[in-house]
Amino acid sequence: MDIQLKKSSIGVKKKSTGDLLYSIKQNLFAYALLLPAFLGMLFIHFIPMINGIRISFLNLNMKTMKQFLNAPFVGLQNYYEVLFNKESLIRTGFWNALRNTGIYTVVVTLCTLGFGLIMAMLVNREFKGKGLVRTALLMPWVVPSYVVGIVWGFLWFQDSGLINVIFHDILHIFPTKPFWLVGRNQIWAIIIPTIWRGLPMSMILMLAGLQSISPDYYEAAEIDGANGWQQFRNITLPLLKPILSINIMFSLINNIYSYNIVSMMFGNGAGIPGDWGDLLMTNIHRNSFQLWQFGPGAAAMVIVMFFVLIIVALWYLFFKEDLVIK
Amino acid sequence: MLKKVTALLVGAALAFSLAACGGGDKPSNSPAPTQGSTGNQGGGEKQQVTLEIWIMPNSTNPAEDFLSVCKPFSDANPNITLQPTVVDWGAAWTRLTAASMTGEAPDISQLGSSWVAGIGSMGRLVDLSGKINKDAFVEATQQYMGIMGRNEIYGMPWFTETRGLYYRKDACEKVGVDPTKDFETWDSFKAALEKLNNVEIDGQKLPALGMPGKNDWNVIHNFSIWVYGAGGDFLSEDGKTAAFSSDAALEGIRFYSELAVAGLMDKTSLEKDTNHVESTFEAGGYATSFMGPWVAKRMNDKKDSGESDFVDKVGVTLVPKGPKGRFAFAGGSALCIFDTTEHQDEAVQLLNYLASKDAQIGYSTVTGNLPTTKEAYDDPSITEDSFKKVFKEQMQYAKHYKGVPGWSPSETYFTQGLSKVWDNAMQIEGTYSFDKTKQVVKDIENQINAVLKENEVELQVEESAE
Repeated sequence: MDIQLKKSSIGVKKKSTGDLLYSIKQNLFAYALLLPAFLGMLFIHFIPMINGIRISFLNLNMKTMKQFLNAPFVGLQNYYEVLFNKESLIRTGFWNALRNTGIYTVVVTLCTLGFGLIMAMLVNREFKGKGLVRTALLMPWVVPSYVVGIVWGFLWFQDSGLINVIFHDILHIFPTKPFWLVGRNQIWAIIIPTIWRGLPMSMILMLAGLQSISPDYYEAAEIDGANGWQQFRNITLPLLKPILSINIMFSLINNIYSYNIVSMMFGNGAGIPGDWGDLLMTNIHRNSFQLWQFGPGAAAMVIVMFFVLIIVALWYLFFKEDLVIK
Repeated sequence: MLKKVTALLVGAALAFSLAACGGGDKPSNSPAPTQGSTGNQGGGEKQQVTLEIWIMPNSTNPAEDFLSVCKPFSDANPNITLQPTVVDWGAAWTRLTAASMTGEAPDISQLGSSWVAGIGSMGRLVDLSGKINKDAFVEATQQYMGIMGRNEIYGMPWFTETRGLYYRKDACEKVGVDPTKDFETWDSFKAALEKLNNVEIDGQKLPALGMPGKNDWNVIHNFSIWVYGAGGDFLSEDGKTAAFSSDAALEGIRFYSELAVAGLMDKTSLEKDTNHVESTFEAGGYATSFMGPWVAKRMNDKKDSGESDFVDKVGVTLVPKGPKGRFAFAGGSALCIFDTTEHQDEAVQLLNYLASKDAQIGYSTVTGNLPTTKEAYDDPSITEDSFKKVFKEQMQYAKHYKGVPGWSPSETYFTQGLSKVWDNAMQIEGTYSFDKTKQVVKDIENQINAVLKENEVELQVEESAE
C-alpha cells in the first residue's frame, strides 16, 4: 500500500538554479510568507552562530576583550586547548559535565518518549472529562524552564521539600529523607523536572500520530484475533515511527543543549552546580564567562555543535526510511 | 536525494541554531541595554539626556527605591531622565562581562565590590580620579575602588555591608547564653552553640546555627570570617598566588565546617541559598545566623507593616574573635561609568549626587545597607539604630578581598571548591575526613593559581605599557 507523494514543484528531480527561480516566481506569495521567518533565522540564529565560530579562532580574553571580534587570530589554538590541553581552564569540570549530559540526555529522552506514548494512548481513549485531563496534562509545558528550575529546587529540599514530605513523611517509601541537591542525587534532581516539563510536548506529538492512524487497522486486527499488545507492536508502533523519529531528534538536541533548569536550580542563574548537577552548557557557559575564556569557550561550543550534527546524521541514517510518507 | 539533503540541512540548521542559542531563553530580568537617547529641544534649553543605569535588587522595590532616592536630583535636573534596569545578581556577571566585551553597555552600572578590579581591568570603565572625592569615603570602602597597586578609580563606593551574628534573644535567655559575652571568641561561640542546639521555643526545636552552604556566591564570604580570624587569607599579600591551603586558612575552614560535623549547624540549611536561610531565620527557624544588615531592615519593615514583630526577639552582635583577632567580611557595591556613554558629565553628576549625605542616608534607609561616605556614616540614623550601629562597629574589623583582576574568576573556583568542603562536612558520600577537605582546598588552590597566572600577565602588560 505504499503511496509515493505526488511530485510537486520542489519534487525529487534534480533542480537547477533556474528551476529554483522559476519555482519562486510560480510561488511568490508562499515565498513572501516564508521571508519573515527566514530573516528571523538569519538575524537571531545564523549571525550569532557565525560570530560564535569566528570567536573560536580568536584570542578573546580579559586582555583583548575590548577588541571583541577584532581580537588576535590564533588559528586552531582554542581547539587545541579544549581537546588536548589537560590543564586548560576551559576543561574545568568538563568530564563530569559530559558524563552528566550523557546520562541526562539518554534518560530524559527515553522517559519523555516512553511516558509520552503511554499518556497519549491513555488520553486517546474516550472517557468523561477527556478535554480537561488533556489540558491539565499540558500544564507543565506552559511553565517556563527557568521557573521549573526554581520551583523544583524548592521541592527537592531535604527538610521541607514536597518530594521528601510525600515519599518519607506520608508514604514512608524513603526510610530517611535524602538530600537531592547535594551529591549524586543531583542528577535525578535535574532529570525528573526535565521529564516532567518535556512530557506534554511528547504526548501531544504522539497523540497527533495516534489520531492519524485509521481505526480500520485495529478493527481488522481485532477480527483477525490480535490482542492489545499485538495491535500495539504491529500497528501502532510502526505507524508512529515518523513521529517517534522526529520526537527523538528534538529531545536529543534539546537535552544536550539544556541549560535553564540547572542554572536556576543551582545558584539562581549563576549556575553553580556540583559534580553531579553540571551539564555541558552550564559548564561551558561558566568557564567561558566567569573565567574569561571566551575563545576556548566558543571552540568548545563549536565542538559540541559538530557532535550534535553527527548525532543528527546518525539519526537521519537510522530513521531515513521513516521520513518518507508511505 | 533532494529530500535527503533537505532533511539533513534542516537537521543541521536546527542543531546549529539551537547551539547558537544555547541557554538563549534564559530569563532576562530586564530589557536589553540601550544607549542613552539624546534629543535637543533647542531654544537654549539643556540637552535632554537619558541615563541607563543597571542596578541589582538591593531593596524590595529596587527601581522605585532608586528613583525615589534620586528624586531631588531629577527635580534639579529635569533634562536628565534616569532609567534604572534591575539585573539579578545571578545574571549580572555575565551581562556585565558581555557589556564590557561588546560595548553594548549602560551609562552607569552597579558592581559588586569584589568585581571592581576585574571589570575595571577590561578597559571599559571611566577612570573616576578627579571626578569624585576619594577622601570622602570611609577607609573600608576605599579597598574596592580600583585595582590593587594602581591609582585609577573605577568604582565609586555606593553602599557597604558586613555580616554580623544575629541571634534570638528568647533562645539565648532560655539556655543561659549571654550574647554580650558568650559570642566573643570562637571557643565561647562554639560553647554557646552547644547550649543553644535544639533549644525549644514555642514548641519548635531550633538548630543552633543556620548558614547557606552551597549554590550561591556567599559561600566564600561566609568562610572569610573564619579564614581571616585564624590568620589566613585567600591570596598572598601581592595577590599573585593563592594562599588558601596555609595552615592558618585551613584552621579557619576546619573550625567553621566542623560546626556542621558536630551537629551545631543545620545541615539542611547547607543545601539552601542565602535567601532561603534568611527567610528561615526571619520565620524563627534558627537560634543564630550570620547575615547582612538588610535582614534587620526587612524584619523592621515587617514590624512596621504589622506583619510580624519578630524583630523584637532578635539581636545582632559582632563576629566572634578568632585566634588571630576579630575579622569580618567587607562587602558592598560600587557604581561605575562605562566609557561607551555619551553622557559622561551627567553620569558623573549623578554619581556625585549619590555620594551626597542625603542620598547616602536615603539609600541606606531603603536598602538597610551602610553608607560609604564619612559624613553619612556618622549620621544618627546609623549611630542610633540598634542594628546598624553594630554593623558600623564591625566595619572596623572588616576586610575586603584583594583588588586584583584575577579575583573575580577565582571566586568561581572558591565557591565550587568550598561547596565540596560542605559535601564532606555533610557526609553525603562517606564519613567526614579533614584530609578530604585539605585535598579539596589544595585542588582549588592549583586552579586559582592558574587563573591568577593568566591575569598576572595582563597586569604586567598594562604596567609595562604605562
